[in-house]
This record gives sequence, C-alpha cells and structure tokens, in this order.
Amino acid sequence: DSHIQYERVGADVTMKCGSMDWDAAVTWTANGTDIDESHLNGSYLILKNVDLTQSGQYFCYEGSSWHLKYQTYLRVGMPPKEPVLMCRSNNYPKGFYCSWHLSAPTYIPNSFNISVIHGTREMVCEKDVFPRNRCHIRYLQLFSTVKYKVTLTVTNALGKNSTTVTFDEFAIVKPDPPESVVAKPVPNNPRRLEVSWQNPSSWPDPESFPLKFFLRYRPLILDQWQHVELSDGTSHTITDAYAGKEYIIQVAAKDNDIGTWSDWSVAVHATPWTEEPKHLTTEAQVTETTSASTSSFMPPPTTKICDKGAVVGSGAVAVCWTAGLVLAAYGVLFI
Amino acid sequence: MAAADSPSATLRRRDLCSRGIRLAGKMRSDVVDLLDAYVERQGLDASASVAAVEGVPVAAVECWDEQTGTQRLLENLAAYRAFRALLAQMLEEQREQLGEADAALGRALAAVLLQVSAFAYHLEELLRLESRGPPSEEGAGPPPLPHLGLFERKLRGLGVLRELAQWAVRSARDLRQLAKPGLGSGSAPSLAESP
Repeated sequence: DSHIQYERVGADVTMKCGSMDWDAAVTWTANGTDIDESHLNGSYLILKNVDLTQSGQYFCYEGSSWHLKYQTYLRVGMPPKEPVLMCRSNNYPKGFYCSWHLSAPTYIPNSFNISVIHGTREMVCEKDVFPRNRCHIRYLQLFSTVKYKVTLTVTNALGKNSTTVTFDEFAIVKPDPPESVVAKPVPNNPRRLEVSWQNPSSWPDPESFPLKFFLRYRPLILDQWQHVELSDGTSHTITDAYAGKEYIIQVAAKDNDIGTWSDWSVAVHATPWTEEPKHLTTEAQVTETTSASTSSFMPPPTTKICDKGAVVGSGAVAVCWTAGLVLAAYGVLFI
Repeated sequence: MAAADSPSATLRRRDLCSRGIRLAGKMRSDVVDLLDAYVERQGLDASASVAAVEGVPVAAVECWDEQTGTQRLLENLAAYRAFRALLAQMLEEQREQLGEADAALGRALAAVLLQVSAFAYHLEELLRLESRGPPSEEGAGPPPLPHLGLFERKLRGLGVLRELAQWAVRSARDLRQLAKPGLGSGSAPSLAESP
C-alpha cells in the first residue's frame, strides 16, 4: 500500500515494511537509492532527527524476491506558525479584501480557513482565484460602528494556528496609488513642471467618494522632498523647480474623509524647460550669452540653499544672495 | 417656490449640498475631537464596545447606494433632530455632573450641538427645495431616559458621539449623491461596476 506520511523536522521516524515480520530480510530505498543497513532495526527503517532533505519516496522490498511490500512518500515539514493577516478596502464602498501569508514556510501543504464576523452576522469571504491567499467581502452595510472580526486558521498535517484582526469599516480604507502620473515641462517657464494623474482604476466612484492627493517632488541632486496636499483635481503645477534640474515626482491618494494614504505612485522624472544655448562666435556675443545663461543658475527666491540639504518648499522667505552669486559664478564655468 | 427640477432649483440644490458637505466635514472633525475629550474626561476606554442604545440614530445602512434623494434627506433629518435632543440632554447631564469643573467639555458639547442644529436646518431647506417640506417635529425627540446610573450614562454618551461621527461621514456622502447632476430626489443612483 502507498500513502503520504508527514513528519516534523527533528522527529525520529520508524517505518514498518508493511506486514513483514520484524526479523524479515528487507531492502529499503529512498528516492531510488538503497538505504544502508545501519538505519535498520530488523526490518524497520529508523530515521533519527529527520530533516528536509529526507523527504521523498521510500520503498521496502522483500529480501530475496524483491517484491515491493511497502511504499510511502515521506514529507518532512513544520506545523504552521501564526499567520500574518491584513485586510484593506481599496474599492470603498464596494467591499474589502483580506490577504495572508505564513511568516515561515512549512514545506508541506497547508489549508486556510477564514471567518468574517460583523456583529452577530457571519459574512462570506469569497476566495480569489489569483492570488490564492486572498479573499474578498462585499459590504452589506455602510457607516457601521460595529467592528469587523476576521479570523484566519491555517492547518496542515502537523498542526494548526490562527490569528484574528479586528477593525472599523473606515480604518482599513486605503486606495491604490494614483495611475498614469505624467510630468511635463512648461514651455518658456524654466521653473515650472506640470503634473497630472488619474484616480486609481480600482476606486469605483470618485464622484461620490472623492479622493484627495499628496504630491511630493525633489530634484535628483537633493534628498529632501517637498510636499503639496491637494483637496481636489488631478493635476498640479510645480512653480518653484530649480531650472535645468531633473526632478523625481510621486503622488499618493486618500479618501477625502476616512482611511489612510495610499502607497506612493510609480515615480516619474521631468526636467523644467530650459532656453536653447546660443552658438558662441565673438567675444562680445560670448559676454552677452554668458550673462543670459547665468540667470538659470540663480536659486529660486522661495528656496533657501545656504545649508546643504536644507531646501525648503514654497513659503520659505530667506534668500541667500551670497550663495546665489557664487552659483552664478560657477555657472559661467560650466557652460 | 421654484419647481424641484428647474435650473434655479438645481443650482440652489447644488449650492446647499456643497455648503452642507463642508458643514458635515467640519462637524465630523469637531465630533472626533469631542469624542477624544469625552473619553478622557469621563474616564472611559476608547475601545469600549457600546451596544446600540434606544433612541440613538444608527448610521449603518444597507443598500445605501440604492436610496433615493428624498430618503436620504428624510433619514438624515430624523437623525440630526434626534441628535439635537440627545446632545442637549448630554449637555445638561454634564453640567449637573461636572458643573464648572469641566467648562471646556461643556463648551465643546455646546459647539457641536450648534452645528447639529445648523445642519438639521440645512436639511430642512433641502427638503423644502424638493417641494416636499420637512416633516413636523411634533412628538419627535428622544424617548424618556430610563433610569441609568452614572457609568451607563457615560457609555450612552459615548455611543451618541460615535454614531454622530459616523452620521457626519454618511451625510457628506449623501449630499454628494444628491448633488450629482441629472439626479432628482426620486432617483436612486447606482455605483459603476468596478473593473
């Protein structure tokens, strides 16, 4: 007869050769390789302190006839540790989903059972086809103060474990990041960038459940972000960009009233418009060209750059003219 | 009175809805702050579960997206009229219990009561615009308070404020639905299917 046998890592395993007597002459194989007699106690196979490498197909043959007397598939694994469970609504007010994973592998098959209770009502969490570790629930009620209680139980042949999360309807609302973020220079404006984006496609009704947005941007050469919160609209013009510097820009979204901010969107890069450099022919023209070009290296008046990294966004007042003159001088050198 | 669907009535409705949405947002923000202060001053556990209490309007609703505009307005108005009376009771109890020892909590309660009253009036205006007019308030008001001990009254107050916070969110959503162009008071909008 053939079956699957599950054993815990570190366990001592004894396999009997079917109905053969203890003193019968037998040969055991593991994954096609004969097992040394030192592992036998009579006809019993003894595996001490098993590890994952000992998983496999085991056969027992009668000594002289080589008739197959017993076979088993040994799966060495672990009972499940407490699973990690999270629930989130990225399509409010339609419903929410819960997803889970194990913090450590068990190396053997696991089954998952999830229960969702809202007050006295048990709700059905429909398993997603993909990914398999996720299920979704449709809201039956909105604006409820009653908490949801979700319990996930993971079971395998060696044990079971469970975890429970409890939350309010509003607390788990977290949209997906904005989509199609685009940043473009504005012609003839060396300090502007026009940014636009779209609501996440998973958000079902932005008209009734509007999103607000958080935009962050910085030049690649600096570490500090500047932030702008926008209560409506899906576009914004940055007006204090450093001329000629490449920027990285991201946007996040949040329901206007409830929940938490989305993750940041995919980053986009853009450089503000710059004037085309003129060709140098005469010394006089060089001087004129130089004077015109240095203006692009003046620091924006709303930005303080006296200290490295101490870039402040709109609203800052101090202007470091000394630094500006130094930069202008260096600007000449780099044309 | 202009017909409910006339251009001027539509504009007036959208204007009232916009202002109502802002009012609901401010109200919610103040109620959330009041909740924090109430829990602290009354020595309660913020995560305490409070069973549904008779007379406290429950914001939870099924098939919310299928409601007509008039249903939304009527349910909101009934709720805020009830909250108006409940908050007045809480204010009186708070003054009896704490007196001048916690004037700040009393002022915060009074401020929210004022906003609730203003919002109820706002809803009445919207209902008048629907050529329907608000229902009369005769016989309205919270049921007589059962004899509750001090701790039960505190829990009841917690329940009142929690439901009011939920209602403030719901009201903003209801008004946004009402403000959608092309929707009359009798129409029930439906959510677009998500992809």
